[in-house]
Amino acid sequence: MSIFLASVGFGLITSAVLAIAAIGFTLQFGVTDVLNLAFAAVMTTGAFVAYWLNQSGVSVWLGLVAAMAACSLLSVLLNLVVYTPFQRRGSSPITLVIVSLGMALIIEFGIEAEVGGVDVSYTMGQGRTFQAGGLILTTVQLVIIGISVAVMAGVHVMLRYSRLGKAMRATAANRTLARNCGIRTARVIALTWALTGALCGLAGTVFAIDIGSFGPTSSDLFLVLILAAVFLGGPGHAYGAMLGAAVIGIATEVSAAFITPDYKYVIAFVALLAMLAVRPTGLLGARA
Amino acid sequence: MYYVINLLVYGAVDAMACLGLSQQFGIAGVTNFGFIIFQAAGAYAAAILSMPPDTANGGFQSYLGGWSLPFPLPWIGAAAAGALLALPFTFLVGRRLRGDFAAVGLLVTAVLVNLLVTDYRPFLNGDAGLAIVPSPLQGVLGATSTGYQWAYVAVAAALAGGVYLFVRRITESPYGRTLRAMRDNDKVADSIGKNLLSLRTAMLVTGGAIAGLSGGMLVGFINTWSPAAWTYAETIVLFAAVIIGGLGNHRGAVLGAVLVPLAFEEGSRFIPNSQNLPPNLIPSLQWVAIGLLIVVFLWFRPQGLLPERKRVIAVPEPDAVAGSRPPGPAVSRRPGPAGSRPAEPAARQPPGQALSRPPEQAVSRPPGPATGHADVLQAVDVSRDFGGVHAVSGVSLAVRRGTLTGLIGPNGAGKSTLLALLAGTDRPSTGKILYQGQDISGLPAFRRARIGLIRTFQLASEFKRLTVMENLLTAAPGNRGDSFRGAVAGRRYWRADESAAISRAEAVLGRFGLTDLANSYAGDLSGGQRRLVEIMRALMAEPAVLLLDEPMAGVHPELARRIGTALTGLCTEGMTILMVEHELAIMDEFCDPVVVMAEGAVLAQGTMAELRERTEVVEAYLVG
Repeated sequence: MSIFLASVGFGLITSAVLAIAAIGFTLQFGVTDVLNLAFAAVMTTGAFVAYWLNQSGVSVWLGLVAAMAACSLLSVLLNLVVYTPFQRRGSSPITLVIVSLGMALIIEFGIEAEVGGVDVSYTMGQGRTFQAGGLILTTVQLVIIGISVAVMAGVHVMLRYSRLGKAMRATAANRTLARNCGIRTARVIALTWALTGALCGLAGTVFAIDIGSFGPTSSDLFLVLILAAVFLGGPGHAYGAMLGAAVIGIATEVSAAFITPDYKYVIAFVALLAMLAVRPTGLLGARA
Repeated sequence: MYYVINLLVYGAVDAMACLGLSQQFGIAGVTNFGFIIFQAAGAYAAAILSMPPDTANGGFQSYLGGWSLPFPLPWIGAAAAGALLALPFTFLVGRRLRGDFAAVGLLVTAVLVNLLVTDYRPFLNGDAGLAIVPSPLQGVLGATSTGYQWAYVAVAAALAGGVYLFVRRITESPYGRTLRAMRDNDKVADSIGKNLLSLRTAMLVTGGAIAGLSGGMLVGFINTWSPAAWTYAETIVLFAAVIIGGLGNHRGAVLGAVLVPLAFEEGSRFIPNSQNLPPNLIPSLQWVAIGLLIVVFLWFRPQGLLPERKRVIAVPEPDAVAGSRPPGPAVSRRPGPAGSRPAEPAARQPPGQALSRPPEQAVSRPPGPATGHADVLQAVDVSRDFGGVHAVSGVSLAVRRGTLTGLIGPNGAGKSTLLALLAGTDRPSTGKILYQGQDISGLPAFRRARIGLIRTFQLASEFKRLTVMENLLTAAPGNRGDSFRGAVAGRRYWRADESAAISRAEAVLGRFGLTDLANSYAGDLSGGQRRLVEIMRALMAEPAVLLLDEPMAGVHPELARRIGTALTGLCTEGMTILMVEHELAIMDEFCDPVVVMAEGAVLAQGTMAELRERTEVVEAYLVG
């Protein structure tokens, strides 16, 4: 029982981190139509921005804000300099996926060339440990969960009630039509990159906090989890991504406790392939 | 010396792998981001087939199998393993899944298969991988001698050459043309009768076998194989090679293999590592360079160093086309009642096409119902909802044989959706589609196309990187070379069908006055010309029923009239046409009857003159 509860605890944190990343990824894809496989590489950039600041004595939580800003900027640039020119030229979606893979290599191994292949970790305290039944969480972990819940609520409010959120949904549904209705889609898309980039930086930093020590390629496997969560919920659907993140996060950690940690990704993998085969639009999705 | 041999073997292996990828991605457009696991499967298969059982092999490794099979069985097994591994993934590449989603599925698969093999030791010795894999015939020949090594180079090069000839044979056949058509536009290929699932499965299996063989060849030389040798990123290196070499050009793939994996990975390994550099710097920068190469090439030279070759098919001067009228100044042409269709070459009439175009020549319309079901195509109470929007609701419609039926209605009336339902591009939520009296609601688009129900699309849908002539030829049914086996059988097997199809295409080109453009890329034509290509391609498919979605949109009025006249002529000969069109003048002149749709339902039906009398029709559409 306590193993189960403890693994649920791990699952909650994984889900929390995953939800932030998956929401960012799915919004990015839904609105901009770029399946950005460089997402995990940008996350890593954020984690290292926070690390560099942390090294010079800045608190990780301030570093986190800096990471958000840096990733926001990096994402906007990535869109402006790379993806938009390709899209404007009429490149196929698959070309953009290949380009994004190329960008992932450039960013990820650019960082590795800079920092070397060793893993690093933040200098920070974990705070008090809380125990409830078999559930054990530290203050830091609770903060991460809190951030994630805040992100979900914020995204919900934004999509539902703000002008930008409505414009994003309209652009995702039909870009041409949205433009003809007077929505400045280019600006909406740029803002989407800024926003999802910030989420990406946030996810990267809390991911690095969560796993303790990290390197330039640590987020590669996390990308698999993100993709699984996104496809489980239906690509482009923010609520689907939240649901997918909850399912994948808890399922991987619980299976890690009861089967073996080596294969915890298998469940994500099976979920992803099953969704692609049976229902590519996801649990909550309808649009292909 | 060993260094040179090493490079040559790696070169042959990389060239072979790139050829497999070039066939899959460059020709067929199947983006297999998991390509490397097929090579890995081949390498492991060759290893465990040639090694003795793990207990008898020093005992420090654990692996399945260990059958000590003699050469060449391990290499054959390697190719078979690559091919078999492809089968579970065919579900990813069917009609329903977007290409980029399938690519993501394969990428994730590659990442996880690597992880699993790394973590699960009993299967293939986990992270450490397999070592002391025997070289082929090493017991007989002595694998360490220079002679043996050169022989290995020769065999590897010969096999790579063989693979080159094999993929070229496939690519340059009618089947290869179909693959390239699918690459350019899979939905349209589907609509002219191509089975996408079977084409893509064939490509996954072929590419998998080639990758597997390359893996077997590699492991026989380097004698070890471990998960570190086949991380997902290795696939990206191969993609970089194929992109840089030239997509759609197998020579380019070989060139890319020499330039990228070989020069980068193998070559730079021998760059003297300067003392004061961090150990990880050079490999990291290599990966950065691979990423840069991909992005830079896709931007500045997407066609690669050796672009795809244009397949020019010599078209005789218009005057020399036997039996067909010289197209002449096309503008003033008014086809006569029967003379509008040039004589068909006798060699045609493929099997299984009995119901396409009954041979009633020069019979004045309408052909009597004696030739079969009078209502050749029917929709019975058909509906299609898109998440609450009733695009088509409860439509019943019968298209009579030999008519040129018009379908009009305001934007959003559901015309194109109805057309898609009839053609099988989309499935109705409820209701039935009948063709020649039979229920075809369950048939996918390509099967409907094969029984003579062909559609065109509202948006231009030419195969861009095929010439006009090739666009037409892809649609010709019954070409023996348009199957994997036919392609492998070689040119002699399909030459007769091919030249018959070419003669037909020439006749069609002459009829529409586009002979001069036969060898232009369809993607380079003007909008109007592209519409023509699409209509001609549909005609090449020998339809019994032709569904046209705004064939004259954006076409010069003069040309539109010519198309209309040609279509009327075809109906006189027994074809049935249903045409969506906005231009009422066209409807007035050519279409009878005309069906009016509004808000997903059929509003009225009759001649244009009758429709103008009816107020609800006029209100819904004619004035608005």
